[in-house]
Amino acid sequence: MVFIVRYVVRLKPKPVGDFLLCVGTAPGISASPSEENMRYFNVMILGPSQSPYEGGVFKLELFLPEEYPMAAPKVRFLTKIYHPNIDKLGRICLDILKDKWSPALQIRTVLLSIQALLSAPNPDDPLSENVAKHWKTNEAEAVETAKEWTQLYASGT
Amino acid sequence: MSFSFPSVPRNFRLLEELERGEKGIGDGTVSYGMDDGDDIYMRSWTGTIIGPHNSVHEGRIYQLKLFCDKDYPEKPPSVRFHSRVNMTCVNHETGVVEPKKFGILANWQREYTMEDILTQLKKEMAAPHNRKLVQPPEGTYF
Repeated sequence: MVFIVRYVVRLKPKPVGDFLLCVGTAPGISASPSEENMRYFNVMILGPSQSPYEGGVFKLELFLPEEYPMAAPKVRFLTKIYHPNIDKLGRICLDILKDKWSPALQIRTVLLSIQALLSAPNPDDPLSENVAKHWKTNEAEAVETAKEWTQLYASGT
Repeated sequence: MSFSFPSVPRNFRLLEELERGEKGIGDGTVSYGMDDGDDIYMRSWTGTIIGPHNSVHEGRIYQLKLFCDKDYPEKPPSVRFHSRVNMTCVNHETGVVEPKKFGILANWQREYTMEDILTQLKKEMAAPHNRKLVQPPEGTYF
């Protein structure tokens, strides 16, 4: 009996207060819920140091769908970014947002993974074919473009 | 007090519609896609309707422009035909689908999608008051 009760509790959607606890403590990351919709967050990620995105402030949006936590949060970049795993609409190719999602993952983990993706672009699993091609044929030049875009679009002003 | 689940915000809703449109809808007689792949706010869309059977529109290809503003889907998109067409709900000069004369726009609900609009317009083409109207030549535009 106890087992069943525990199971039910685990599956219950997390109350909104918990969402807030799950975010916000990581360095270089912030997330605040919008006023109209407590499941919709304005997210800010600072470009990691020693990456082409260093010095950039990247805006993202995050939404917890009705199925959350059984389904992954929906996240995308609002700031333009030159990255092989992020497309022109800011959609992100990241396994934990898709088939590798687990209800045990927190929003904080998701945002940290996105930040890590900025440090480690993976052109072998691309979302933007052109950017990935650029990365594979001339990495130095692609990194330069990524730096330029960071200056142009993510300078935080 | 009843609990209503917070609705999907505009941008994620449009991303869903985009993905659905990319996969292809039903028999393909109605389709749509984004005009400007760089527009992060996904405002301008082109829709296509292939005219329904048993009407003067049969086999004709109609292009439309849909514009989803910041208040979509609380408010309907603005819709206008690019291809010339003669229908009771379409302004003869501009091609604009007049919301007052087209139910789904007049009685808009946030669950409705661009697919619903295009599907309804296709049905409307086959309605008794539209299906026999004389049409402008094919390949002409507003």
